[in-house]
Amino acid sequence: MRAYLQKYTSAAPLAVFRAIFGLMLAISTGRFVALGWVKELYINPRFFFPFYGFEFVRPLGEWTYLLFAICGISALLVAIGWHYRMASVALFLSFTYIEFIDKSTYLNHYYFVSLLCFMLLFLPANTLFSIDSRQNQALRAGQIPAWCLDSIRLIVCMLYFYAGIAKLNSDWLLEALPMKIWLPAKNDTLLIGTLFNHLETAYIFSWIGCIYDLSVGFLLWNGRTRPFAYASVVVFHLLTSLLFPIGMFPYIMIVTALVFFPAEFHQKIIDRAGRLLALPAETIKPIAPYRFPAWLQPIVYAVFALFFVFQITFPFRYLLYSDELFWTEEGYRFSWRVMLMEKAGYTQFTVTDATGRRQVVNNNDFLTHLQEKMMSTQPDMILQYAHMLRDHYAARGFTRPHVYVDSYVALNGRTGKPLIAPDVDLAQQTDSFRHKSWITPFDNEIKGL
Amino acid sequence: MKKYIALVLTLVFLGCSSGSDKPDPQPTDEGKDRSVMLKALAENVIIPSYDQFKTKFDLMSAKSKAFTAKPDSQTLTEFRSAWTDAYVAWQRVELFDFGPAEKQIIRNFFNIYPASEAGIAANITDPTSSLEVPASYPTQGFPALDYLINGLGANDTSILAHYTTDKDAAKKLAYITRVIARMDSLLGKVISDWKGEYLNTFISKTGLDIGSSTSLMVNGSVLHYERYIRSGKFGIPSGAMASGIPAPEKVEAFYKKDISKTLAQTAHKAYVDFFNGRHAVTGQAGPGLKNYLDALGAKDSGTGKLLTESINAQFQTAAAKLDVLKPNLYEEVKTNNQAMKDTYTEMQKAVRMLKVDMTSAMSITITYTDNDGD
Repeated sequence: MRAYLQKYTSAAPLAVFRAIFGLMLAISTGRFVALGWVKELYINPRFFFPFYGFEFVRPLGEWTYLLFAICGISALLVAIGWHYRMASVALFLSFTYIEFIDKSTYLNHYYFVSLLCFMLLFLPANTLFSIDSRQNQALRAGQIPAWCLDSIRLIVCMLYFYAGIAKLNSDWLLEALPMKIWLPAKNDTLLIGTLFNHLETAYIFSWIGCIYDLSVGFLLWNGRTRPFAYASVVVFHLLTSLLFPIGMFPYIMIVTALVFFPAEFHQKIIDRAGRLLALPAETIKPIAPYRFPAWLQPIVYAVFALFFVFQITFPFRYLLYSDELFWTEEGYRFSWRVMLMEKAGYTQFTVTDATGRRQVVNNNDFLTHLQEKMMSTQPDMILQYAHMLRDHYAARGFTRPHVYVDSYVALNGRTGKPLIAPDVDLAQQTDSFRHKSWITPFDNEIKGL
Repeated sequence: MKKYIALVLTLVFLGCSSGSDKPDPQPTDEGKDRSVMLKALAENVIIPSYDQFKTKFDLMSAKSKAFTAKPDSQTLTEFRSAWTDAYVAWQRVELFDFGPAEKQIIRNFFNIYPASEAGIAANITDPTSSLEVPASYPTQGFPALDYLINGLGANDTSILAHYTTDKDAAKKLAYITRVIARMDSLLGKVISDWKGEYLNTFISKTGLDIGSSTSLMVNGSVLHYERYIRSGKFGIPSGAMASGIPAPEKVEAFYKKDISKTLAQTAHKAYVDFFNGRHAVTGQAGPGLKNYLDALGAKDSGTGKLLTESINAQFQTAAAKLDVLKPNLYEEVKTNNQAMKDTYTEMQKAVRMLKVDMTSAMSITITYTDNDGD
């Protein structure tokens, strides 16, 4: 371990990663604003679903635009490596804050971006090919500790591998669900569309998807398999972007996978870009090795060790819950479960009180489409919404209101059934990490991990 | 070895993503071909239904002209009877609330009830008032005609007096003509769209994303079942929804009263027929949502029962509740409201299946806003 920590490698791959990653994020942020999503997702809604334990993250109203401006500008600063440390802190905080405002917008790839930003906070990604290194001679370095680059590679591998593990279940492998449902929806795609009508295709996609996820990280790491692996990354992600509405994620993964390429590849990119931008040679090819300040080094080691222990164990927390993960979603998020199930739901809430008042709630009075759709299948969000309704009606003359929900949820083609016990007063339940006893048992089995 | 595995993986992957060497669509594919479904629904169900409605509408229009030319007991009776037939036929097209009908928002101008008596009176006084703004919805269409020919007086003599001896008689007759002319013009636009440009658009937009024909059709028709059959005809009058207070005056055809059950039955049956792809003229089942779902193999994984069987069974259960109601739903709300609520409850179960099981099996997103219940 000690020997590994002292191993050095070229700083070029990390620097290129920093530049491309920052640029992609700046583009993503711009795209988000341009599509009007800031208003739609973070300003218009009446109610938000904060994460458990992060209720202090509140929506900022019109100031959300400022938050996005900070996020976009700091992403650009990270890309060009100017005031890098400050910019990376700002990027991590602003991006994560946005991500935590509302659960209904949760996406694994936002979480992934947050994690990468967090790692970049500590890593020496600006020691060359950056404005900082041009201005500050002391900063320039051509060699960085190998673990710095490897940790980025490792988190990429983990993302794929865990996504693969999540697919090792009977619905995915034995029933080809949800592929069986999703593919025929695309049977009008040019040329390949009719393939999607065949059950065999759904099985092939499911199995290949699973094997791909489990293996691609290792194949990228290995020099001999890398070109093939990278080609498959490109094909795989382009195909998924053609078939499924998953936004920027495929492109982010395609460029992120470049970190596996050898130093010479990245140095070439830097050389070429450097010539184009007329950068001085000493910021393109510095020689010195980078050293963490002595006081910082142990802290960084500790942070990264904890970080990876957390990353390895956290996705398995679902094992602590008894019922089916896909049904209760207890331990579902932050675990690289990507495009894994087809789940749809319908909820109708009734608020009553002891004095005989009764109101059947129209969800669209309180929630956006997206929020309603997400809430209808996720018990923790149903509870949050029930509490919101309780408080809303208590303020409008109901005495100690009771909130009941008539829910109906279909999972991977199974006929719908109630997700929540209809006779439980949700107004009196509290959220916690404990199992939610008012979730109706799944009484079906999805075998596997 | 690793290199070999990677090569194989990559090739298999490329192979399955770009292979076009498969044979042409097999017969099993046809059920999954949305253009086949869309074409059949347009040509066998939607357009002939509009034609049938148009025939009834034209008859009503002719009878209204006879009435306005010579208002007497006979022309009134004939106008009324033609109005009933047309209103019933309307129930068989109201559900096509997508494409041309959605563009013209024809439902809002044809069948928003209860009618606004004050609004109608104001429009009679002012013949230049707008019939295009949202506030004017309850002053026109079938509910307004209902009021004008069934609700102006306690009996035929007093109704006829409004059109003969009343000082505003001419204005009232003119308003009938105006309302019918407006309906005629909207209906003409919807039908000519369906028979023209839109038919091709409808058949060719085969995707399932927002804005595709199937998505618009499923959203429009499920919304119709939920809001205009379940809520409008049962949930709201019976008070099964929202705060629970019955509102019998909100039944459909409030002034005529004894046809409200027939209207509801027709609307419900029209929906079931549409779901099963039944030809509007022959009644023969054909390509439609049922066939498509069956071709997708949508069934409950536990029992193996086809989803469409479950949905049709639920439709039947709801229809059975509806069938035993008395013809006058206004009276039912006042004297037998539990039966109204029971009908609502069974329809509610069908709504869940349509909104959750059906759309999930089809990979369609429900995009409409549910703004009923208040």
